[in-house]
Amino acid sequence: MNDGQKLDSGITVLIWLVSIALVVLPLSMLWDVVREGLPHLSFNFIVDQPLDAGRSGGVGSLLISTFWILGVCLLTTIPIGLGCALYLSEFVIPHSQSEKLLGFSLDVLAGVPSIVFGLFGYAVFAIQLGLGFSILSGGLSLACMVLPLFIRTAEQALRTCPKGYRQAAIALNISHAGFISRILLPSASGGIAVAMIISIGRALAETAVLIFTAGYVTRMPGSVMDSGRSLSVHIYDLSMNVPGGQSNAAATALILVMMIVLINVLARYLSRRWQHVE
Amino acid sequence: MSTWGIRPFFIRHLLVGCMLLSGLWGCGPSTTEKLTLTGSSTIAPLASELAREFEARHPNVRVDVQTGGSSRGIADARSGVADIGMASRPLNGKEMDLFAHEIAYDGIALILNTENPVDQLTDQDIVAIYSGEIDNWRLLGGPDQAITVVNKAEGRSTLELFLKYFKLNNKQVKADIIIGDNQQGIKTVAGSPAAIGYVSIGTAEFEVSQNTAIKILGLGGIAATISSVKSGDFPLSRPLNLVTSGPPEGWSKKFIEFAQSDSVHSLVKNQFFIPVNAH
Repeated sequence: MNDGQKLDSGITVLIWLVSIALVVLPLSMLWDVVREGLPHLSFNFIVDQPLDAGRSGGVGSLLISTFWILGVCLLTTIPIGLGCALYLSEFVIPHSQSEKLLGFSLDVLAGVPSIVFGLFGYAVFAIQLGLGFSILSGGLSLACMVLPLFIRTAEQALRTCPKGYRQAAIALNISHAGFISRILLPSASGGIAVAMIISIGRALAETAVLIFTAGYVTRMPGSVMDSGRSLSVHIYDLSMNVPGGQSNAAATALILVMMIVLINVLARYLSRRWQHVE
Repeated sequence: MSTWGIRPFFIRHLLVGCMLLSGLWGCGPSTTEKLTLTGSSTIAPLASELAREFEARHPNVRVDVQTGGSSRGIADARSGVADIGMASRPLNGKEMDLFAHEIAYDGIALILNTENPVDQLTDQDIVAIYSGEIDNWRLLGGPDQAITVVNKAEGRSTLELFLKYFKLNNKQVKADIIIGDNQQGIKTVAGSPAAIGYVSIGTAEFEVSQNTAIKILGLGGIAATISSVKSGDFPLSRPLNLVTSGPPEGWSKKFIEFAQSDSVHSLVKNQFFIPVNAH
């Protein structure tokens, strides 16, 4: 072997090691969560209210709060985000000043640390608009954080629509709205579902945005104006702030991981079915 | 010209969403009183438990506990965003316009294994042990045995309090074992004759009463007991305060009185704090 070959094989080994580490790291994290959390996971844990600062009891009310926060977030993100993505892909002239400006501001927003969105949401939604610590404030703040990510991913999906579809639509004198709703959106639905899944993943994992907006209250929420603790905030509090909360933190983390996997599977299934129906 | 006759799916979803939202809005409780607490994350778990108990006794009141740190608690109490702030430290000179109500104390004691003949350590000894200058019990009048230094994990308030009192930086600490919570610290020291650790005094006294193999060291000649923490003599401690902008009134007053009453002592102890009226 000459020096060049030695270098080549050395680099090959290095790349393999890096890729193995990339697989092992998330697996070992998952293993840790499963090992610590699974013994504490039960049906009662999923439906019961947290007791003794979360050391005992379950996460029932927090699951509901999390779903509501996610619901508010998606109800805001999807119409605004899809509209913005459609505007970017359909109406903005490529390489124009306005496209550059829009793209730049989206990229800046996507890079803002989540705690900034948390403080923004607290100042604007909770204090200025008087929504207080509530699921609504939390969901809206979360939507602000998730929007740039959703818009960018959905825009990519919309841009993958083959040119031929568009030409055929024009040739058949199909209106722009008809083209968008009947051809563009269905053909991009897979990609839009991916954008949703990524957004949901970000939203479910978020702690910094929610702790000052949706808040810390573990009571079962009665309306979106109530404060409600999300699963992620609960995990953070149990592992950092509550002595003896470690095992329930792991069990909650396990629920969160399972939720993300479930939503992932469901979204993929629905988008595939929708594609067939249309 | 094209129309929106065929409604794209997201418009439909938006409409459904709006109806859902407005529906949910309507069913919010409107007749109940609401009390908001914000502040120290150390107090927040205890305050949540107090709130639940208080709500059980007064079904028409809702007590919402939010976190964010002692400074937030003080700022929110002053601005009126919160009815009651939470601060896990005494008020300082600039905050004397506010009213602090102690609901519990948090104290930290050093613990050794009962087999260890050493009964007393000076502050300098402790600093030397934790910074690695003294690494054998022989140098302190004990057996010829290497010291196992047990330290708290980053982010624990007990760690912060401990480091601040001994003017140590966490990077200077030469720890052999890093632990998370009080229970873990007690088990570690109870199972290892050469270990030294520090835990919440409330937990330590409870474990001593259960005949766990630990003993509690005094600090600066003052015994580490619940009563010395309560009297303010024990140096490594802090009060947990509820803060109001004026003399408490109405439900705030009722809640503070409830939080200071004898009936919540078990709740306070469950969170490893020392109740205000304990002796």
